[in-house]
Amino acid sequence: MNFMLNPDTDLTISRVIKAPRARVWSAWADARSFEQWWIPEPARCKVVDMELRAGGAFQTLMSENGGEFGPHLNACFLDVVEGERIVFTNALTGGWRPAAQPFMTAIITLADHPDGTEYLAQVMHKDNADRNMHAEMGFYDGWGTVIEQLAKRMEAGA
Amino acid sequence: MILSLMAQQSEQLDGIFQALADPTRRAVLGRLGRGPASISDLAKPFDMALPSFMKHIHFLEGSGLIQTRKEGRVRTCAIDKQRFATIEAWLNDQRALWEGRTDRLEQFVLKTQDKETPK
Repeated sequence: MNFMLNPDTDLTISRVIKAPRARVWSAWADARSFEQWWIPEPARCKVVDMELRAGGAFQTLMSENGGEFGPHLNACFLDVVEGERIVFTNALTGGWRPAAQPFMTAIITLADHPDGTEYLAQVMHKDNADRNMHAEMGFYDGWGTVIEQLAKRMEAGA
Repeated sequence: MILSLMAQQSEQLDGIFQALADPTRRAVLGRLGRGPASISDLAKPFDMALPSFMKHIHFLEGSGLIQTRKEGRVRTCAIDKQRFATIEAWLNDQRALWEGRTDRLEQFVLKTQDKETPK
């Protein structure tokens, strides 16, 4: 599929993961596995829906510091090719229903690589003030120095 | 001579501060604040040889305050400082978020793999 990435609003993350493609796929497609990495600790993730088919609901909840679970992601799968591709957007919710505050479409691609699996995340964002909401979500997602340190440690230990 | 000295200093100091410290560059930024313009239009008000003027343009471009784009023979300059800064910070946040997810996915996959394949 051809599409243009806009450098002002879109991003691409590419990574070679030293594991078979089927294993990377199941880490994504198995809800219990997905919960373990989607949100960084100490926050916790709960998958409410992960209907891996076009139009299927994709909904996660998040709990910070062991508190009540609140909304995190409410999206809709647009395309799912087993073992190869997952496309979802929060412009829609399950069953193609239009969402209140859309801001992104993500395209996850898995491909065989001599060292394992080439993992590609391409994320396209809406170009307007709704960004603030996503930025807030990013904040709650708790990315930052902890992850960077973790990544560095992994690289150093490899 | 002065320009090259300034260029050297800019490597050590805040490029934006440097860019704003010169009257020619401030005038250029002021003009671009009203909208994009070609190099020749920008150079008109200044009694300055084009190569000297271009140094100012390159300086501004290097500082990230303006962007230039060439279409045919015309190079157009544009400023959108606030938007640029906002977008960059915001997109960097999104990038960090997805990098973090990818880091954790990778770690999860490697960790579970190690468990299932004893050494």
